[in-house]
Amino acid sequence: MSAQEKKLGVYLCGGCGIAEAAPLAGLEKVAVKEFKAPFCKKHDYLCGEDGLKLIRDDAAAGTMNQAVIAACSPRVNQDKFRFDGVQVIRANLREQVAWTQPAGVDDTEMLAADYVRMAITEARKIKVPVPYTEGPFSERILVVGGGLAGLTAAREAARAGHSAVLVEESGKLGGNALSYTKVVPERPPYRQPQPNPIHELIAAVQKEPRIEVRLNARVVKTSGMPGKFAVEVKQNGAVAEEQVGAIVLATGWHPYDAKKLGHLGYGASPDVVTSLELEEMLAKGQVRRKSNGLAANVVAFVQCAGSRDPNHLPYCSSTCCTGSIRQALQIVEAAPQAMVYIIYDELRTPGVAEEFYRAAQEAGVIFMKGKVKGVGSDLTVTVDDALLQQEVPLSGLDLVVLATGMVPNSVALPADGEDVPLPERDIDPLSQIPVAGYRNGAPAKSSGQPAVTYKGAPILNLQYRQGPHLPILADGFSDSHFICFPYETRRTGIYTCGPVRRPMDLAEEAEDATGAALKAIQAIRNVSQGEALHPRSGDLSFPRIGLSACTKCRRCTVECPFGAIDETAEGYPIVNPTRCRRCGTCMGACPVRTISFDNYSVEMLTSMIKAVEVPDESEEKPRVLVLACQNDAYPALDMAGIARSPMSPYIRVLPVRCLGSVSLLCVNDALSSGYDGVMMMGCKSGDDYQCHFVRGSAMAQERMMKVGETLKSMMLEKERVTTLEVSIADASRMPGLIGSFMETVESVGPNPFKGM
Amino acid sequence: MSKIKFTYYPGCSSQGAGIHLDRSLHAISGKLDFEFETIKDWNCCGASVGHVKGGALPSMALSGRNLALARQQGTADVVTPCAACYLNTHFVNERIKNDAKARGRVNEALDAGGLSYQGDLKVRHVCEVLVNDVGIDAIKDQVTNPLSGLKVAGYVGCQTVRPFAQTAPGGEFTTYDQPKFLDQFAEACGAEPVPYDKARTACCGGSVSIYSPEKTLHLMRLILQEAKDAKADVISTPCPLCQQNVEMYQAAINKEFGDSFNIPVVFYSQLMAVAFGMDGKKDAALDCNMIKPDKLIDKVK
Amino acid sequence: MTQSSIPTPARKYDLNFARWVYQNVEGGDRLPLCMQCGMCSGSCPIGAEMDNGPRKLFMMIRAGMKEEVLSSSTIWNCTQCYNCVVRCPRKVPVTYILQGLATVAAREGYAPAKATAKFSRAFWRSVRYFGRTDERMVTVLYYFSYGIKEGIKRALANLPIAQRMVKAGRMGIGLPHRAKGAGDLRAILAKADEIEARERAGQ
Repeated sequence: MSAQEKKLGVYLCGGCGIAEAAPLAGLEKVAVKEFKAPFCKKHDYLCGEDGLKLIRDDAAAGTMNQAVIAACSPRVNQDKFRFDGVQVIRANLREQVAWTQPAGVDDTEMLAADYVRMAITEARKIKVPVPYTEGPFSERILVVGGGLAGLTAAREAARAGHSAVLVEESGKLGGNALSYTKVVPERPPYRQPQPNPIHELIAAVQKEPRIEVRLNARVVKTSGMPGKFAVEVKQNGAVAEEQVGAIVLATGWHPYDAKKLGHLGYGASPDVVTSLELEEMLAKGQVRRKSNGLAANVVAFVQCAGSRDPNHLPYCSSTCCTGSIRQALQIVEAAPQAMVYIIYDELRTPGVAEEFYRAAQEAGVIFMKGKVKGVGSDLTVTVDDALLQQEVPLSGLDLVVLATGMVPNSVALPADGEDVPLPERDIDPLSQIPVAGYRNGAPAKSSGQPAVTYKGAPILNLQYRQGPHLPILADGFSDSHFICFPYETRRTGIYTCGPVRRPMDLAEEAEDATGAALKAIQAIRNVSQGEALHPRSGDLSFPRIGLSACTKCRRCTVECPFGAIDETAEGYPIVNPTRCRRCGTCMGACPVRTISFDNYSVEMLTSMIKAVEVPDESEEKPRVLVLACQNDAYPALDMAGIARSPMSPYIRVLPVRCLGSVSLLCVNDALSSGYDGVMMMGCKSGDDYQCHFVRGSAMAQERMMKVGETLKSMMLEKERVTTLEVSIADASRMPGLIGSFMETVESVGPNPFKGM
Repeated sequence: MSKIKFTYYPGCSSQGAGIHLDRSLHAISGKLDFEFETIKDWNCCGASVGHVKGGALPSMALSGRNLALARQQGTADVVTPCAACYLNTHFVNERIKNDAKARGRVNEALDAGGLSYQGDLKVRHVCEVLVNDVGIDAIKDQVTNPLSGLKVAGYVGCQTVRPFAQTAPGGEFTTYDQPKFLDQFAEACGAEPVPYDKARTACCGGSVSIYSPEKTLHLMRLILQEAKDAKADVISTPCPLCQQNVEMYQAAINKEFGDSFNIPVVFYSQLMAVAFGMDGKKDAALDCNMIKPDKLIDKVK
Repeated sequence: MTQSSIPTPARKYDLNFARWVYQNVEGGDRLPLCMQCGMCSGSCPIGAEMDNGPRKLFMMIRAGMKEEVLSSSTIWNCTQCYNCVVRCPRKVPVTYILQGLATVAAREGYAPAKATAKFSRAFWRSVRYFGRTDERMVTVLYYFSYGIKEGIKRALANLPIAQRMVKAGRMGIGLPHRAKGAGDLRAILAKADEIEARERAGQ
């Protein structure tokens, strides 16, 4: 839609206390007289049938195709205020005006008027997004890994109607689960080990026509973008290319190397074994000692063997306690006179596993709380017994079982005949969040997070400018904040599930894999419509880069949290639209403002900022711009409104997609327009980040470190600009946070640029 | 008016140290429409310490004989005022009722004395009967001499409510931690129950206080201190052993800890007898209390 | 010490003693469920007087510390307030188990000098012969179980209280109270002993 084709209509709702707070007649004047809007209509109850009909009729009559709706928050009633062929722009006069301000006073009316101004300005600058629909898009799903997680993901995708190709590097399906004689119970009464579900699952997958299984196969490289991934798979020496729409990584885990546990006796005696080795023994029937073949009737399990230990794996692998209980119950069932001990530091039997623990106690398994100081070659386990408060030698043992932890297979395992030299198999468990950017192997500068080294080959070998690895978190797992964005990795359209994501047992794996399959299907469906994925589901815009102004500074390609932007041979950025999550970090990074979205641009933001009427210094009414991220800060402000918390009338809130999308120019323009202060509110950053776009807040913090220089050159105080991290639960803190910033601003004094 | 009949198991203390409980209970039964028929030729229940020498089955057999004898007298509920007697008799009754093996063993032993018992009686505590069968209102109705201004600390103790409080049907009697019945009795009598939440169900040391009081003086002290802090005139209690311990050891506590306790300890039934306008000695048995409850004696009509 | 049928563990955490306790001590069948939360020890009013609280005692049973368990002061100091019983989240009958262990310990000859054991013997004497506990008889028997000299000392020390009790009508000076059927009761108790001995031998 070009500027000539826009037909603007302004609709003011007086309901929910808005009309009492700020008389609509005044707002109408702003729209029509100041902004020359073609028309402005008022209604008491715009979201009701009559109000909606009013708008619908205008659209049908062809007099309006762009509606500024000044009413409740844009976060509500989205389904109601949706009209075919109409672009809707919202102004929040309810949660952030009527519900936080006293009715009928000047300041309230000025606040409402400014929000109408901002909305109309947005309408003037916005374009209807033209989506990216360059197909063909594949509906096929690639599953890497043929263990329980991969098999479940493939099966669930097939049941939902999608075809899947399952790539497994070994010669058979089943993964680690194949070796279990029985499993931890997942059905009531949760007291007995249950049969292993893997065999049924393998059979089901092999029978499923929609799933193509490739054994002895590996991914060689992955290029493209969601909907259009081109994956090269090598199977038995031959390479073939698969076109897939989404990828599920379910490469599972391997046990921590017990050879590193010499202090627990491993290697000194054949009768010190790991949990998996015990499983092999259980598969043969009665457990017998490896040393002399006699029945093992006195058995001790050592929990946390090489786990929760800064010298080995620092984390808990979640399933070893219930796993040992299961094995202990199997031993006691086969030999009721056996004496079985489980030595633990903390025992983790969450939820229904408490019943399982009770069952083991009733069967006579003895649980000893204490730290194992050492294991002698005669198998005596010396325990610092916390319950007896003394050191106890546990002797007379036939077998010692070390319950070792899970190490995720986040990098490729070395294979025979591979000519690429592969370093060690294990991932450095202390690795940090990786930084975007691997230019010639050296990480680029970023917001304070150290670079990670992957000690292994990349499994997917992504042909992305930001590097071939799927970024991982601490300890080598690719877990994500389970409330904010479950299953998401930092590469769009690629989902992880199962123990490669975080330690979990078979029951959880099945659920996890189902979730990942659903996400993969979501990705395929959205992408084929040109729509963005979580969290901006449905957004049709994507970054457009004006190459003529581009200086090839590479900030966008480096700072994109999702690696959506690659570089051409000449070094120019090239956007892969379906990899993009539309956060706008690239837009905020670009120093020459040449990146924008059809419906979101730096120009739009700065125009909205300047549309606000800044009163003269003599009126003693300061103005503070609040840039609030749409994920956490803006909802928190809304919720403060829902709680009817009084708020300063001098703030002007501008919602942004992510603080990462905020360019320094916005701040500069605000200050040079006479705003007395700027607050930037975003989500939590750091290792435990809640930012839905990973690093928005962190980027904003870093950029704002440079704003100090700008302020100095403008002879303004640095206290005028602040960045805050808030969460959606901080509604009750909002009035206080804003109040104290207002105090700072007032003490610093009015901006000398007012009225210039 | 028809009286509710109970088969009464008095317990060994009723003959000696706890004689005032027995006497005052019988006295008020007349006014409160319940009737006690004592088990003929009852024996000791084993109390808290008997089992150590006696053993598990002989101890059960003691209560088994009592129950068998009670059953011979009829099917009325068996009622006892003593906490330990209630504990033992009720425990054994439930075992005989619900555990076939126990029932067999106990009856094999009882047979040597020509007795048998199959577990068809109910065993109850006198206080629970007063709360649930007689009712607080009925108690109030009999009060002709309200004990106005008398401050009473309601010391319930441990075995009266633990572990069986929840086997009694309904009412405040079912609370382990804050049973209210002693306060309700005091209020019904026109007296003023004082706040007494910390020590209400604390242990006085039980039988350990008899043979090794040096180990339990500090426990009894807690009971006395809270009553003193609440400015109680008397401590009321349902248990003969608590009454004896808390009363008897005040001198020793004063010597050991430098306190100056001199608080009378009375049974709830003694309070009721006075409140019902009955005789101070014959009915309320106030002459049996070693620390004279002067303020209560003054109220006697 | 009498010949004992209780198994003696060969090493720490040899479960033969624990398993014997599960089978032979009243309430012991619920011992395996103890999860060592410590609620019992925390609720015990006399816990500070015990060498080991009930929680630790139960772990010592699992650890096969037979001598220490049967000699511990825990089982003798319990006042039977039942705090532990009503609060145990696993419904382990703590008080009953301690009582049962005391019975075993007394029978096996552990700690015969403990006050509880002495008192219990005096108590039981009265019950067996009279069917009822005569407080005077029990206390006298108890005092003199410490020897003549100590007995006289204790009796004299408690004389003032005894006098007050007599004055208050709570201690008679006549013959001990007795049940007429005390003979029947003795027969019943003897039979019960026989049954228990028979059960022990059968194991």
